[in-house]
Amino acid sequence: MVRKNRLATALTYAFLCAAALVDIIPFVWMILSSLKPQSEIFSFPPSLLPRQFTLRNYTAAWNAGGLNFARMFMNSMIVAVPATSLCILSSSLAAFAFARIRFSGRDFLFMCFVSAIMMPTMMVMIPTFLLMRPFIDTFVPLIARVMFGLPFVVFLFRQFFMTIPRELDDAALVDGYSKLRIWWSIIMPLSKPVVATLVVFVFQQVYNDFLYPLIFINSKSNFTVQLGLASFRGIYATRYDLLMAASVFTLVPILALFVAAQRYFVEGVVMTGLKG
Amino acid sequence: MPNKRKRKEATAAYLCLIPSIIGLIFITYLPLLSVFALSFFNWGSGAPDPKFIGLDNYVRLFTTDPYFLDSLRVTVVFAVLTVIGSMIYSLFIAMLLNRKIPARGFLRAVFYLPYVLPSMAVYIGWSWLYEANFGLFNYFLSLLGAEKMKFIADGRLVVPSLALIGVWLSGNLIVIFLAGLQNVPRVYHEAALIDGANSFQRFRHVTIPCMTPIIFYNLLMALINNMQIVTPALALTNGGPGNESRFITYLMYQSAFINNHLGYGSSVSTVFFVIIAIFTVILFLTSRNWVFYEGDGK
Repeated sequence: MVRKNRLATALTYAFLCAAALVDIIPFVWMILSSLKPQSEIFSFPPSLLPRQFTLRNYTAAWNAGGLNFARMFMNSMIVAVPATSLCILSSSLAAFAFARIRFSGRDFLFMCFVSAIMMPTMMVMIPTFLLMRPFIDTFVPLIARVMFGLPFVVFLFRQFFMTIPRELDDAALVDGYSKLRIWWSIIMPLSKPVVATLVVFVFQQVYNDFLYPLIFINSKSNFTVQLGLASFRGIYATRYDLLMAASVFTLVPILALFVAAQRYFVEGVVMTGLKG
Repeated sequence: MPNKRKRKEATAAYLCLIPSIIGLIFITYLPLLSVFALSFFNWGSGAPDPKFIGLDNYVRLFTTDPYFLDSLRVTVVFAVLTVIGSMIYSLFIAMLLNRKIPARGFLRAVFYLPYVLPSMAVYIGWSWLYEANFGLFNYFLSLLGAEKMKFIADGRLVVPSLALIGVWLSGNLIVIFLAGLQNVPRVYHEAALIDGANSFQRFRHVTIPCMTPIIFYNLLMALINNMQIVTPALALTNGGPGNESRFITYLMYQSAFINNHLGYGSSVSTVFFVIIAIFTVILFLTSRNWVFYEGDGK
Protein backbone atom coordinates (compact mmCIF):
# COMPACT_ATOMS: atom_id res chain seq x y z
CA MET A 1 0.00 0.00 0.00
CA VAL A 2 2.74 2.41 0.99
CA ARG A 3 4.82 1.49 -2.05
CA LYS A 4 1.86 1.92 -4.34
CA ASN A 5 1.26 5.34 -2.81
CA ARG A 6 4.84 6.37 -3.29
CA LEU A 7 4.72 5.35 -6.93
CA ALA A 8 1.52 7.33 -7.43
CA THR A 9 3.12 10.38 -5.84
CA ALA A 10 6.20 10.06 -8.03
CA LEU A 11 4.05 9.77 -11.14
CA THR A 12 1.94 12.76 -10.09
CA TYR A 13 5.06 14.74 -9.47
CA ALA A 14 6.62 13.86 -12.82
CA PHE A 15 3.40 14.72 -14.59
CA LEU A 16 3.02 18.03 -12.75
CA CYS A 17 6.57 19.07 -13.55
CA ALA A 18 6.02 18.25 -17.21
CA ALA A 19 2.75 20.21 -17.18
CA ALA A 20 4.47 23.14 -15.49
CA LEU A 21 7.12 23.11 -18.21
CA VAL A 22 4.44 23.16 -20.91
CA ASP A 23 2.67 25.88 -19.00
CA ILE A 24 5.64 28.26 -19.14
CA ILE A 25 6.45 27.62 -22.82
CA PRO A 26 4.73 30.80 -24.07
CA PHE A 27 6.61 32.80 -21.53
CA VAL A 28 10.03 31.18 -22.03
CA TRP A 29 9.64 31.28 -25.79
CA MET A 30 8.97 34.99 -25.60
CA ILE A 31 12.20 35.58 -23.68
CA LEU A 32 14.29 33.27 -25.88
CA SER A 33 12.94 34.90 -29.04
CA SER A 34 13.66 38.36 -27.74
CA LEU A 35 17.34 37.42 -27.51
CA LYS A 36 17.67 36.33 -31.15
CA PRO A 37 18.59 38.58 -34.09
CA GLN A 38 15.92 39.13 -36.74
CA SER A 39 17.54 36.74 -39.23
CA GLU A 40 17.44 33.95 -36.71
CA ILE A 41 13.94 34.57 -35.48
CA PHE A 42 12.55 34.08 -38.98
CA SER A 43 14.20 30.75 -39.62
CA PHE A 44 12.46 27.41 -39.87
CA PRO A 45 12.91 25.10 -38.06
CA PRO A 46 13.44 27.54 -35.20
CA SER A 47 16.51 27.37 -32.99
CA LEU A 48 15.72 26.52 -29.39
CA LEU A 49 18.40 28.64 -27.74
CA PRO A 50 19.68 31.78 -29.46
CA ARG A 51 22.59 30.79 -31.72
CA GLN A 52 23.59 34.40 -31.86
CA PHE A 53 22.79 35.91 -28.50
CA THR A 54 21.91 39.60 -28.76
CA LEU A 55 20.44 42.35 -26.61
CA ARG A 56 19.95 44.65 -29.59
CA ASN A 57 16.19 44.03 -29.68
CA TYR A 58 15.89 45.50 -26.24
CA THR A 59 17.88 48.64 -26.99
CA ALA A 60 16.04 49.06 -30.28
CA ALA A 61 12.58 48.48 -28.81
CA TRP A 62 13.05 50.88 -25.89
CA ASN A 63 12.72 53.91 -28.15
CA ALA A 64 11.32 52.55 -31.42
CA GLY A 65 8.45 54.00 -33.42
CA GLY A 66 8.27 57.33 -31.60
CA LEU A 67 7.33 55.48 -28.41
CA ASN A 68 9.42 55.88 -25.34
CA PHE A 69 9.18 53.10 -22.81
CA ALA A 70 10.83 55.14 -20.06
CA ARG A 71 8.09 57.73 -20.43
CA MET A 72 5.36 55.08 -20.58
CA PHE A 73 6.61 53.37 -17.44
CA MET A 74 6.55 56.73 -15.70
CA ASN A 75 2.96 57.28 -16.85
CA SER A 76 1.86 53.85 -15.68
CA MET A 77 3.35 54.51 -12.25
CA ILE A 78 1.80 57.99 -12.07
CA VAL A 79 -1.54 56.25 -12.57
CA ALA A 80 -1.06 53.05 -10.61
CA VAL A 81 0.58 54.34 -7.42
CA PRO A 82 -1.98 56.98 -6.38
CA ALA A 83 -4.87 54.91 -7.72
CA THR A 84 -3.83 51.91 -5.64
CA SER A 85 -3.13 53.82 -2.44
CA LEU A 86 -6.37 55.79 -2.58
CA CYS A 87 -8.34 52.68 -3.46
CA ILE A 88 -6.99 50.86 -0.42
CA LEU A 89 -7.79 53.81 1.86
CA SER A 90 -11.34 54.39 0.68
CA SER A 91 -12.17 50.69 0.43
CA SER A 92 -10.90 49.90 3.90
CA LEU A 93 -12.76 52.88 5.37
CA ALA A 94 -16.01 51.67 3.84
CA ALA A 95 -15.31 48.11 4.95
CA PHE A 96 -14.63 49.39 8.46
CA ALA A 97 -18.03 51.06 8.56
CA PHE A 98 -19.70 47.86 7.35
CA ALA A 99 -17.84 45.60 9.76
CA ARG A 100 -17.75 47.74 12.88
CA ILE A 101 -20.52 50.31 13.05
CA ARG A 102 -24.26 49.83 13.29
CA PHE A 103 -26.27 52.27 11.21
CA SER A 104 -29.57 52.21 9.41
CA GLY A 105 -29.44 50.99 5.83
CA ARG A 106 -26.24 49.07 6.40
CA ASP A 107 -27.35 45.74 5.02
CA PHE A 108 -29.00 47.29 2.00
CA LEU A 109 -25.90 49.35 1.18
CA PHE A 110 -23.68 46.33 1.60
CA MET A 111 -25.88 44.38 -0.81
CA CYS A 112 -25.44 47.20 -3.33
CA PHE A 113 -21.67 46.80 -3.06
CA VAL A 114 -21.76 43.03 -3.34
CA SER A 115 -23.98 43.06 -6.43
CA ALA A 116 -21.64 45.55 -8.08
CA ILE A 117 -18.87 42.94 -7.96
CA MET A 118 -20.56 40.87 -10.64
CA MET A 119 -21.17 43.77 -12.97
CA PRO A 120 -19.34 43.37 -16.29
CA THR A 121 -17.01 46.37 -16.69
CA MET A 122 -17.36 46.41 -20.46
CA MET A 123 -21.05 47.14 -20.04
CA VAL A 124 -20.58 50.63 -18.71
CA MET A 125 -17.79 51.78 -21.00
CA ILE A 126 -19.94 54.23 -22.99
CA PRO A 127 -21.54 56.14 -20.08
CA THR A 128 -18.21 56.21 -18.27
CA PHE A 129 -16.67 57.71 -21.36
CA LEU A 130 -19.38 60.39 -21.52
CA LEU A 131 -19.09 61.13 -17.82
CA MET A 132 -15.33 61.61 -17.99
CA ARG A 133 -15.25 63.37 -21.34
CA PRO A 134 -13.91 66.61 -19.81
CA PHE A 135 -10.83 64.67 -18.72
CA ILE A 136 -10.02 62.97 -22.02
CA ASP A 137 -6.31 62.44 -22.59
CA THR A 138 -5.44 62.93 -18.93
CA PHE A 139 -4.78 60.36 -16.23
CA VAL A 140 -7.86 61.46 -14.28
CA PRO A 141 -10.27 58.81 -15.65
CA LEU A 142 -7.74 56.03 -15.11
CA ILE A 143 -7.21 57.01 -11.48
CA ALA A 144 -10.82 57.98 -10.76
CA ARG A 145 -12.01 54.55 -11.83
CA VAL A 146 -10.38 52.93 -8.78
CA MET A 147 -9.56 55.70 -6.30
CA PHE A 148 -13.03 55.71 -4.75
CA GLY A 149 -12.64 52.06 -3.84
CA LEU A 150 -13.61 48.90 -5.67
CA PRO A 151 -16.65 46.92 -4.45
CA PHE A 152 -14.63 43.77 -4.53
CA VAL A 153 -11.88 45.21 -2.34
CA VAL A 154 -14.46 46.61 0.09
CA PHE A 155 -15.98 43.16 0.34
CA LEU A 156 -12.67 41.41 1.06
CA PHE A 157 -11.61 43.99 3.63
CA ARG A 158 -14.94 43.68 5.40
CA GLN A 159 -14.68 39.89 5.54
CA PHE A 160 -11.28 40.18 7.18
CA PHE A 161 -12.25 42.96 9.60
CA MET A 162 -15.09 40.76 10.85
CA THR A 163 -12.52 38.27 12.14
CA ILE A 164 -10.75 40.85 14.35
CA PRO A 165 -12.04 40.61 17.96
CA ARG A 166 -14.48 43.37 18.83
CA GLU A 167 -13.12 43.67 22.36
CA LEU A 168 -10.23 45.69 20.91
CA ASP A 169 -12.67 48.34 19.69
CA ASP A 170 -14.46 48.43 23.03
CA ALA A 171 -11.20 48.87 24.91
CA ALA A 172 -10.18 51.67 22.57
CA LEU A 173 -13.58 53.34 22.99
CA VAL A 174 -13.11 53.33 26.72
CA ASP A 175 -9.74 54.99 26.15
CA GLY A 176 -11.56 57.70 24.23
CA TYR A 177 -10.51 56.74 20.71
CA SER A 178 -12.65 58.07 17.90
CA LYS A 179 -13.98 55.62 15.28
CA LEU A 180 -11.56 56.99 12.72
CA ARG A 181 -8.67 56.48 15.08
CA ILE A 182 -9.76 52.89 15.77
CA TRP A 183 -9.69 52.24 12.04
CA TRP A 184 -6.28 53.77 11.54
CA SER A 185 -4.39 52.68 14.65
CA ILE A 186 -6.04 49.38 15.57
CA ILE A 187 -7.80 47.72 12.64
CA MET A 188 -5.39 48.62 9.84
CA PRO A 189 -2.18 47.59 11.64
CA LEU A 190 -3.79 44.23 12.45
CA SER A 191 -4.72 43.78 8.81
CA LYS A 192 -1.28 44.12 7.27
CA PRO A 193 -1.33 40.80 5.38
CA VAL A 194 -4.70 41.63 3.79
CA VAL A 195 -3.56 45.14 2.97
CA ALA A 196 -0.50 43.67 1.24
CA THR A 197 -2.65 41.19 -0.67
CA LEU A 198 -5.07 43.85 -1.85
CA VAL A 199 -2.34 46.36 -2.71
CA VAL A 200 -0.78 43.76 -4.99
CA PHE A 201 -4.18 42.90 -6.40
CA VAL A 202 -5.25 46.47 -7.18
CA PHE A 203 -1.84 47.53 -8.48
CA GLN A 204 -1.75 44.59 -10.84
CA GLN A 205 -5.23 45.37 -12.13
CA VAL A 206 -4.46 49.02 -12.78
CA TYR A 207 -1.05 48.36 -14.31
CA ASN A 208 -2.38 45.58 -16.57
CA ASP A 209 -5.46 47.48 -17.66
CA PHE A 210 -5.66 48.12 -21.35
CA LEU A 211 -9.26 49.13 -22.04
CA TYR A 212 -9.47 52.33 -20.02
CA PRO A 213 -6.22 53.76 -21.44
CA LEU A 214 -7.36 52.74 -24.92
CA ILE A 215 -10.55 54.72 -24.59
CA PHE A 216 -9.33 57.71 -22.62
CA ILE A 217 -5.74 58.37 -23.73
CA ASN A 218 -4.94 59.81 -27.15
CA SER A 219 -1.49 61.38 -27.24
CA LYS A 220 1.66 59.32 -27.25
CA SER A 221 3.20 61.31 -24.41
CA ASN A 222 0.37 60.08 -22.14
CA PHE A 223 0.45 56.41 -23.15
CA THR A 224 0.60 53.83 -20.39
CA VAL A 225 2.79 50.77 -20.88
CA GLN A 226 -0.07 48.54 -22.03
CA LEU A 227 -1.40 51.06 -24.50
CA GLY A 228 2.14 51.66 -25.73
CA LEU A 229 2.68 47.97 -26.31
CA ALA A 230 -0.55 47.74 -28.31
CA SER A 231 0.48 50.70 -30.40
CA PHE A 232 3.94 49.16 -30.79
CA ARG A 233 2.31 46.09 -32.26
CA GLY A 234 0.30 48.30 -34.58
CA ILE A 235 3.56 49.66 -36.00
CA TYR A 236 5.72 46.51 -35.94
CA ALA A 237 3.06 43.84 -36.50
CA THR A 238 5.50 41.33 -37.98
CA ARG A 239 8.74 42.37 -36.28
CA TYR A 240 8.50 39.60 -33.70
CA ASP A 241 12.09 40.22 -32.58
CA LEU A 242 11.23 43.75 -31.41
CA LEU A 243 7.73 42.77 -30.28
CA MET A 244 9.03 40.07 -27.95
CA ALA A 245 11.55 42.45 -26.41
CA ALA A 246 8.89 45.12 -25.91
CA SER A 247 6.53 42.56 -24.37
CA VAL A 248 9.22 41.47 -21.95
CA PHE A 249 9.60 45.10 -20.81
CA THR A 250 5.96 45.28 -19.85
CA LEU A 251 6.20 42.04 -17.87
CA VAL A 252 9.13 43.13 -15.72
CA PRO A 253 7.27 45.16 -13.04
CA ILE A 254 4.60 42.47 -12.61
CA LEU A 255 7.18 39.68 -12.53
CA ALA A 256 9.27 41.53 -9.97
CA LEU A 257 6.19 42.09 -7.84
CA PHE A 258 5.17 38.46 -8.27
CA VAL A 259 8.52 37.13 -7.14
CA ALA A 260 8.67 39.52 -4.20
CA ALA A 261 5.08 39.09 -3.06
CA GLN A 262 4.05 35.71 -4.48
CA ARG A 263 2.38 34.74 -1.24
CA TYR A 264 0.12 37.78 -1.31
CA PHE A 265 -0.83 37.24 -4.94
CA VAL A 266 -2.00 33.73 -4.27
CA GLU A 267 -3.58 34.60 -0.93
CA GLY A 268 -5.80 37.16 -2.65
CA VAL A 269 -7.31 34.60 -4.97
CA VAL A 270 -7.85 32.16 -2.16
CA MET A 271 -9.78 34.81 -0.26
CA THR A 272 -11.91 35.60 -3.26
CA GLY A 273 -12.78 31.99 -3.81
CA LEU A 274 -13.57 30.81 -0.35
CA LYS A 275 -15.44 33.76 0.97
CA GLY A 276 -17.24 34.66 -2.24
CA MET B 1 -27.38 59.79 26.01
CA PRO B 2 -26.98 56.38 24.30
CA ASN B 3 -29.10 57.78 21.47
CA LYS B 4 -26.74 60.64 20.98
CA ARG B 5 -23.82 58.24 20.83
CA LYS B 6 -25.65 56.08 18.29
CA ARG B 7 -26.27 59.08 16.10
CA LYS B 8 -22.63 60.08 16.37
CA GLU B 9 -21.59 56.58 15.36
CA ALA B 10 -23.93 56.56 12.39
CA THR B 11 -22.49 59.88 11.25
CA ALA B 12 -19.00 58.41 11.46
CA ALA B 13 -20.14 55.45 9.38
CA TYR B 14 -21.61 57.64 6.66
CA LEU B 15 -18.45 59.74 6.58
CA CYS B 16 -16.37 56.59 6.13
CA LEU B 17 -18.62 55.52 3.30
CA ILE B 18 -18.63 58.78 1.33
CA PRO B 19 -15.75 58.01 -1.05
CA SER B 20 -16.86 54.52 -1.92
CA ILE B 21 -20.49 55.52 -2.31
CA ILE B 22 -19.41 58.21 -4.75
CA GLY B 23 -17.52 55.49 -6.59
CA LEU B 24 -20.42 53.07 -6.47
CA ILE B 25 -22.80 55.67 -7.89
CA PHE B 26 -20.58 57.18 -10.57
CA ILE B 27 -18.54 54.16 -11.61
CA THR B 28 -21.22 51.47 -11.37
CA TYR B 29 -24.89 52.26 -10.95
CA LEU B 30 -25.29 55.58 -12.75
CA PRO B 31 -23.47 54.29 -15.86
CA LEU B 32 -25.51 51.11 -15.72
CA LEU B 33 -28.77 53.05 -15.75
CA SER B 34 -27.47 55.44 -18.40
CA VAL B 35 -26.57 52.64 -20.71
CA PHE B 36 -30.21 51.49 -20.75
CA ALA B 37 -31.40 55.05 -21.25
CA LEU B 38 -28.86 55.84 -23.98
CA SER B 39 -29.91 52.80 -25.97
CA PHE B 40 -33.18 54.56 -26.85
CA PHE B 41 -31.39 57.54 -28.39
CA ASN B 42 -29.71 58.28 -31.64
CA TRP B 43 -26.51 60.03 -30.65
CA GLY B 44 -23.10 60.36 -32.24
CA SER B 45 -21.91 60.85 -35.76
CA GLY B 46 -24.71 62.35 -37.86
CA ALA B 47 -26.67 63.19 -34.72
CA PRO B 48 -24.70 65.63 -32.54
CA ASP B 49 -27.61 66.02 -30.10
CA PRO B 50 -29.25 62.97 -28.60
CA LYS B 51 -32.61 62.26 -30.19
CA PHE B 52 -35.15 59.84 -28.73
CA ILE B 53 -35.88 57.08 -31.21
CA GLY B 54 -37.55 54.44 -29.05
CA LEU B 55 -36.61 50.90 -29.95
CA ASP B 56 -35.06 51.72 -33.33
CA ASN B 57 -31.53 50.81 -32.23
CA TYR B 58 -32.72 47.37 -31.16
CA VAL B 59 -34.72 46.84 -34.35
CA ARG B 60 -31.66 47.74 -36.39
CA LEU B 61 -29.45 45.52 -34.24
CA PHE B 62 -31.61 42.43 -34.67
CA THR B 63 -32.69 42.92 -38.27
CA THR B 64 -30.07 44.74 -40.32
CA ASP B 65 -26.79 44.68 -38.40
CA PRO B 66 -24.41 42.58 -40.51
CA TYR B 67 -22.26 41.65 -37.52
CA PHE B 68 -24.62 41.12 -34.62
CA LEU B 69 -25.64 37.49 -35.09
CA ASP B 70 -22.09 36.42 -35.90
CA SER B 71 -20.77 38.23 -32.85
CA LEU B 72 -23.36 36.59 -30.64
CA ARG B 73 -22.39 33.18 -31.99
CA VAL B 74 -18.62 33.59 -31.65
CA THR B 75 -18.93 35.07 -28.15
CA VAL B 76 -21.03 32.20 -26.88
CA VAL B 77 -18.90 29.55 -28.59
CA PHE B 78 -15.75 31.13 -27.19
CA ALA B 79 -17.17 31.42 -23.67
CA VAL B 80 -18.48 27.84 -23.63
CA LEU B 81 -15.23 26.37 -24.97
CA THR B 82 -13.09 28.38 -22.57
CA VAL B 83 -15.24 27.79 -19.51
CA ILE B 84 -15.46 24.02 -20.06
CA GLY B 85 -11.76 23.79 -20.92
CA SER B 86 -10.56 25.85 -18.00
CA MET B 87 -12.84 24.15 -15.46
CA ILE B 88 -11.55 20.69 -16.42
CA TYR B 89 -7.93 21.83 -16.69
CA SER B 90 -7.90 23.72 -13.42
CA LEU B 91 -9.73 21.09 -11.37
CA PHE B 92 -7.39 18.43 -12.73
CA ILE B 93 -4.21 20.37 -11.93
CA ALA B 94 -5.59 21.37 -8.52
CA MET B 95 -6.28 17.72 -7.65
CA LEU B 96 -2.73 16.78 -8.56
CA LEU B 97 -1.37 19.69 -6.53
CA ASN B 98 -3.45 18.57 -3.57
CA ARG B 99 -1.05 15.70 -2.83
CA LYS B 100 1.89 15.88 -0.50
CA ILE B 101 4.65 16.64 -2.99
CA PRO B 102 7.89 18.60 -2.80
CA ALA B 103 7.90 22.24 -3.97
CA ARG B 104 4.13 22.39 -4.10
CA GLY B 105 4.06 26.13 -3.43
CA PHE B 106 6.45 26.73 -6.28
CA LEU B 107 4.42 24.63 -8.73
CA ARG B 108 1.26 26.39 -7.66
CA ALA B 109 2.92 29.73 -8.39
CA VAL B 110 4.00 28.50 -11.84
CA PHE B 111 0.45 27.52 -12.80
CA TYR B 112 -0.90 30.73 -11.37
CA LEU B 113 1.59 33.02 -13.10
CA PRO B 114 -0.20 33.41 -16.48
CA TYR B 115 -3.20 34.91 -14.72
CA VAL B 116 -1.26 37.90 -13.34
CA LEU B 117 0.64 38.80 -16.50
CA PRO B 118 -0.56 41.83 -18.47
CA SER B 119 -2.90 40.52 -21.15
CA MET B 120 -1.41 42.60 -23.94
CA ALA B 121 2.00 40.93 -23.61
CA VAL B 122 0.31 37.55 -23.20
CA TYR B 123 -1.60 37.86 -26.46
CA ILE B 124 1.42 39.16 -28.34
CA GLY B 125 3.51 36.28 -27.01
CA TRP B 126 0.88 33.76 -28.09
CA SER B 127 0.51 35.37 -31.49
CA TRP B 128 4.16 34.52 -32.04
CA LEU B 129 3.59 30.90 -31.01
CA TYR B 130 0.64 30.81 -33.43
CA GLU B 131 2.53 32.53 -36.26
CA ALA B 132 1.67 30.89 -39.60
CA ASN B 133 5.17 30.31 -41.01
CA PHE B 134 7.76 30.49 -38.27
CA GLY B 135 5.68 29.90 -35.13
CA LEU B 136 6.68 27.32 -32.56
CA PHE B 137 3.37 25.46 -32.81
CA ASN B 138 3.82 25.03 -36.53
CA TYR B 139 7.25 23.62 -35.82
CA PHE B 140 5.65 21.05 -33.48
CA LEU B 141 3.10 20.26 -36.19
CA SER B 142 5.88 19.77 -38.73
CA LEU B 143 7.60 17.37 -36.34
CA LEU B 144 4.38 15.36 -36.30
CA GLY B 145 4.31 15.48 -40.07
CA ALA B 146 1.18 17.66 -40.13
CA GLU B 147 0.50 20.61 -42.41
CA LYS B 148 1.14 24.12 -41.14
CA MET B 149 -1.86 25.89 -39.65
CA LYS B 150 -2.69 29.56 -39.50
CA PHE B 151 -4.39 29.44 -36.09
CA ILE B 152 -5.65 32.95 -35.32
CA ALA B 153 -5.43 33.92 -39.01
CA ASP B 154 -7.80 31.07 -39.92
CA GLY B 155 -11.53 31.72 -39.53
CA ARG B 156 -12.26 28.18 -38.37
CA LEU B 157 -9.42 28.06 -35.86
CA VAL B 158 -9.40 31.55 -34.38
CA VAL B 159 -11.99 30.89 -31.65
CA PRO B 160 -10.50 27.56 -30.47
CA SER B 161 -7.02 29.12 -30.57
CA LEU B 162 -8.12 32.04 -28.41
CA ALA B 163 -9.99 29.62 -26.13
CA LEU B 164 -6.74 27.74 -25.57
CA ILE B 165 -5.14 30.99 -24.38
CA GLY B 166 -8.17 31.50 -22.13
CA VAL B 167 -7.65 28.08 -20.57
CA TRP B 168 -3.97 28.82 -20.06
CA LEU B 169 -4.92 32.06 -18.29
CA SER B 170 -7.13 30.32 -15.74
CA GLY B 171 -4.51 29.98 -13.00
CA ASN B 172 -6.82 31.73 -10.56
CA LEU B 173 -9.29 28.86 -10.83
CA ILE B 174 -6.54 26.38 -9.95
CA VAL B 175 -5.68 28.27 -6.78
CA ILE B 176 -9.32 28.54 -5.73
CA PHE B 177 -9.97 24.85 -6.43
CA LEU B 178 -6.85 23.89 -4.50
CA ALA B 179 -7.93 25.90 -1.48
CA GLY B 180 -11.34 24.24 -1.70
CA LEU B 181 -9.85 20.76 -1.93
CA GLN B 182 -7.84 21.41 1.19
CA ASN B 183 -11.07 22.18 3.00
CA VAL B 184 -12.72 18.87 2.17
CA PRO B 185 -12.91 17.17 5.60
CA ARG B 186 -10.48 14.25 5.80
CA VAL B 187 -12.94 12.18 7.79
CA TYR B 188 -15.20 11.81 4.74
CA HIS B 189 -12.36 10.34 2.72
CA GLU B 190 -11.36 8.07 5.60
CA ALA B 191 -14.94 6.87 6.05
CA ALA B 192 -15.17 6.15 2.32
CA LEU B 193 -11.86 4.26 2.45
CA ILE B 194 -13.14 2.07 5.27
CA ASP B 195 -16.24 1.37 3.19
CA GLY B 196 -13.89 0.16 0.47
CA ALA B 197 -14.37 2.96 -2.05
CA ASN B 198 -11.67 3.18 -4.72
CA SER B 199 -10.10 6.50 -5.65
CA PHE B 200 -12.50 7.22 -8.50
CA GLN B 201 -15.50 6.49 -6.26
CA ARG B 202 -14.06 8.78 -3.63
CA PHE B 203 -13.55 11.52 -6.23
CA ARG B 204 -17.08 11.10 -7.54
CA HIS B 205 -18.93 10.74 -4.23
CA VAL B 206 -16.81 12.68 -1.73
CA THR B 207 -14.64 15.27 -3.47
CA ILE B 208 -17.12 16.47 -6.08
CA PRO B 209 -20.12 16.92 -3.73
CA CYS B 210 -17.98 18.77 -1.18
CA MET B 211 -16.61 20.97 -3.94
CA THR B 212 -19.90 21.94 -5.57
CA PRO B 213 -20.12 25.42 -3.98
CA ILE B 214 -16.64 26.21 -5.29
CA ILE B 215 -17.31 24.67 -8.68
CA PHE B 216 -20.38 26.87 -8.85
CA TYR B 217 -18.46 30.01 -7.92
CA ASN B 218 -15.69 29.30 -10.43
CA LEU B 219 -18.20 28.46 -13.14
CA LEU B 220 -20.07 31.72 -12.62
CA MET B 221 -16.96 33.90 -12.50
CA ALA B 222 -15.34 32.16 -15.48
CA LEU B 223 -18.51 32.59 -17.49
CA ILE B 224 -18.90 36.29 -16.71
CA ASN B 225 -15.22 36.95 -17.40
CA ASN B 226 -15.03 35.02 -20.64
CA MET B 227 -18.23 36.49 -22.03
CA GLN B 228 -16.45 39.84 -21.76
CA ILE B 229 -13.54 38.75 -23.92
CA VAL B 230 -12.33 41.73 -25.94
CA THR B 231 -8.58 42.25 -25.65
CA PRO B 232 -7.44 39.68 -28.26
CA ALA B 233 -9.91 41.14 -30.76
CA LEU B 234 -8.57 44.63 -30.09
CA ALA B 235 -4.93 43.61 -29.92
CA LEU B 236 -4.54 40.90 -32.52
CA THR B 237 -7.41 40.11 -34.83
CA ASN B 238 -9.54 43.27 -35.22
CA GLY B 239 -12.52 40.96 -35.18
CA GLY B 240 -11.29 38.89 -38.11
CA PRO B 241 -10.73 36.81 -40.09
CA GLY B 242 -14.16 37.65 -41.46
CA ASN B 243 -16.33 38.06 -38.38
CA GLU B 244 -14.96 35.04 -36.60
CA SER B 245 -13.54 36.92 -33.61
CA ARG B 246 -15.90 39.89 -33.67
CA PHE B 247 -16.94 39.34 -30.07
CA ILE B 248 -19.97 41.24 -28.85
CA THR B 249 -17.85 43.52 -26.67
CA TYR B 250 -15.74 44.30 -29.72
CA LEU B 251 -18.89 45.13 -31.66
CA MET B 252 -19.84 47.51 -28.88
CA TYR B 253 -16.40 49.12 -28.89
CA GLN B 254 -16.54 49.45 -32.65
CA SER B 255 -20.02 51.03 -32.73
CA ALA B 256 -19.33 53.45 -29.92
CA PHE B 257 -15.69 54.41 -30.21
CA ILE B 258 -14.76 53.79 -33.86
CA ASN B 259 -18.02 54.66 -35.63
CA ASN B 260 -19.02 57.06 -32.87
CA HIS B 261 -22.61 55.81 -32.53
CA LEU B 262 -22.98 56.08 -28.78
CA GLY B 263 -26.69 55.25 -28.70
CA TYR B 264 -26.33 52.23 -30.91
CA GLY B 265 -23.32 51.00 -28.93
CA SER B 266 -25.42 51.29 -25.77
CA SER B 267 -28.06 49.04 -27.26
CA VAL B 268 -25.35 46.45 -27.93
CA SER B 269 -24.26 46.82 -24.28
CA THR B 270 -27.81 46.35 -23.06
CA VAL B 271 -28.34 43.20 -25.10
CA PHE B 272 -25.01 41.93 -23.82
CA PHE B 273 -26.10 42.63 -20.26
CA VAL B 274 -29.35 40.75 -20.76
CA ILE B 275 -27.48 37.73 -22.17
CA ILE B 276 -25.11 37.61 -19.21
CA ALA B 277 -28.04 38.03 -16.84
CA ILE B 278 -29.89 35.12 -18.49
CA PHE B 279 -26.85 32.87 -18.18
CA THR B 280 -26.40 33.87 -14.55
CA VAL B 281 -30.04 33.24 -13.69
CA ILE B 282 -29.97 29.84 -15.40
CA LEU B 283 -26.85 28.92 -13.45
CA PHE B 284 -28.42 30.01 -10.18
CA LEU B 285 -31.66 28.15 -10.87
CA THR B 286 -29.92 24.89 -11.80
CA SER B 287 -27.56 25.26 -8.86
CA ARG B 288 -30.35 24.24 -6.50
CA ASN B 289 -30.14 20.76 -7.95
CA TRP B 290 -26.43 20.23 -7.80
CA VAL B 291 -24.79 22.58 -5.32
CA PHE B 292 -24.61 21.24 -1.78
CA TYR B 293 -23.98 23.50 1.14
CA GLU B 294 -22.95 21.96 4.41
CA GLY B 295 -25.68 21.98 7.05
CA ASP B 296 -28.20 22.30 4.24
CA GLY B 297 -30.15 19.23 5.31
CA LYS B 298 -29.63 17.68 1.86
